[in-house]
Amino acid sequence: MRVAIKGVGTTSFGKQPETHPSELIWRATAEALADAGVDRVDSVFVGTVFGAPGVAQRALHAMGICGVPIITVENACASGTTALHEAIVAVDSGRYENVLAVGIEKMTDSFSGAIHPEPTDAEGRAGLALPSLYAMAASRYQALYGLTDAELAMVAVKNHGHATQNPRAHHRTPHTVEEVLASRMIADPLTLLQCCPIADGAAAAVVGRPGSGAHVAVRGSALRSGAPWDHNSAHVWGFDLIAATAADAYAMASVGPGDLDVIECHDAFTIGEIVTTEALGLARLGEGAGLLHSGHTRLGGPQVVNPSGGLLSRGHPLGATGLAQLAEIVWQLRGQAGGRQTAAPRWGAVETMGGGVSGLDGNACVVVLLEKVGR
Amino acid sequence: MTTLPDPRPRAKAGADGVFRITGWLCTSCGHRLLVHPPRCSRCLSPALEVSEFGPTGTLWSSTVVRIAVPGRTPPYALAYVDLDDGPRILAEIIGVAERVSIGTRVALSSQSDIGDLRVEMLL
Repeated sequence: MRVAIKGVGTTSFGKQPETHPSELIWRATAEALADAGVDRVDSVFVGTVFGAPGVAQRALHAMGICGVPIITVENACASGTTALHEAIVAVDSGRYENVLAVGIEKMTDSFSGAIHPEPTDAEGRAGLALPSLYAMAASRYQALYGLTDAELAMVAVKNHGHATQNPRAHHRTPHTVEEVLASRMIADPLTLLQCCPIADGAAAAVVGRPGSGAHVAVRGSALRSGAPWDHNSAHVWGFDLIAATAADAYAMASVGPGDLDVIECHDAFTIGEIVTTEALGLARLGEGAGLLHSGHTRLGGPQVVNPSGGLLSRGHPLGATGLAQLAEIVWQLRGQAGGRQTAAPRWGAVETMGGGVSGLDGNACVVVLLEKVGR
Repeated sequence: MTTLPDPRPRAKAGADGVFRITGWLCTSCGHRLLVHPPRCSRCLSPALEVSEFGPTGTLWSSTVVRIAVPGRTPPYALAYVDLDDGPRILAEIIGVAERVSIGTRVALSSQSDIGDLRVEMLL
């Protein structure tokens, strides 16, 4: 595949109820266009879940992006990464030269606490708020593999620690295991500091053909929806979908999990990072906590996971998250990540998982593999 | 709460007074479903017939929801239960305030007045 990430941009993340969604899109898009050195794009893919109809057109026409196709996609938490994937495919197929991918979510316009369960969904209607879906996975995983509450909390400690070096993160306060476990219980065994905060934000990327100079190349990009998740499913929710999507991306890029240097993955809840690192192949099934004990995935370790602070600390404006993850990996590969810079990474990965439909092993998962080329 | 059609599985007491779930059985491949789509999700056969599942099953996992969810008063215990003869269901566990161990034997006990499936632990 001959596709590059030419530029990225994000807003700051956090509760910013007074900021209009268009303002968020403008900030992220202007930064991405300037970073890419591009004035015009040939099409736009937009990721949002709760965005108002026309949320992207309302913002983009005012900055002169009009006339071109603008396509809005919804794939739960993976909406932004789905927009990115479609932009990558559109460039790779030769359909467009430069494509803008934008993710936007103004969560504070819709929610003050956890996202309300969806009333047309059987499990949503039965009161299974999203934290409780992950809590079910955590309870099952703890019983099968002996994962302790303190080990779960270690994910939050690591990622909150990383976020102290990320000026755009929502929560930049470090926490101890004891503080994480002492925070309010949300859905057993997940406490408040193990759940990503509701945040507002936008993120954007310009996807195009690689030039002759140093750049960040896309080597693999995969998108799948889940298989049925029911009494025949062997694993906790999401594991099989992430593993299958990652396998697609690894095959495209001709690399394996051992080649990755830096990873941004879906840690909406602490158990999510443990299950995801195993599904990506960084650890064997049931052994994900070992990565935390050894410091393997902590800043300074050989395969850093969520150097930005992850969803747990950056916050999770659903549609923006995937493109914020991408921006972090691009900054890491270019050596622009400041106090959270990992040591000379060559290969990076972005993984986002979206869920919420009963009986399905995930609405969507996206895995994108990136390589630094030149210098 | 809402006027949307209720998407949750239906439980009803039979002549023997025992609650069972009304679902659908694929007569082609034996897959058991909680909804009635135009064809089986596994083998794609349209041959689905009404069937009853339960009442007993094994707890797959559980949690206690401690945050406010519209229409409900926390805390409440929820479980995924694999019924002995069929699908995995989501149900409220009655009479407990903490998580219940996986593998615990449970039985359907009722459907609450707001439509939630309920299970109780078997001794």
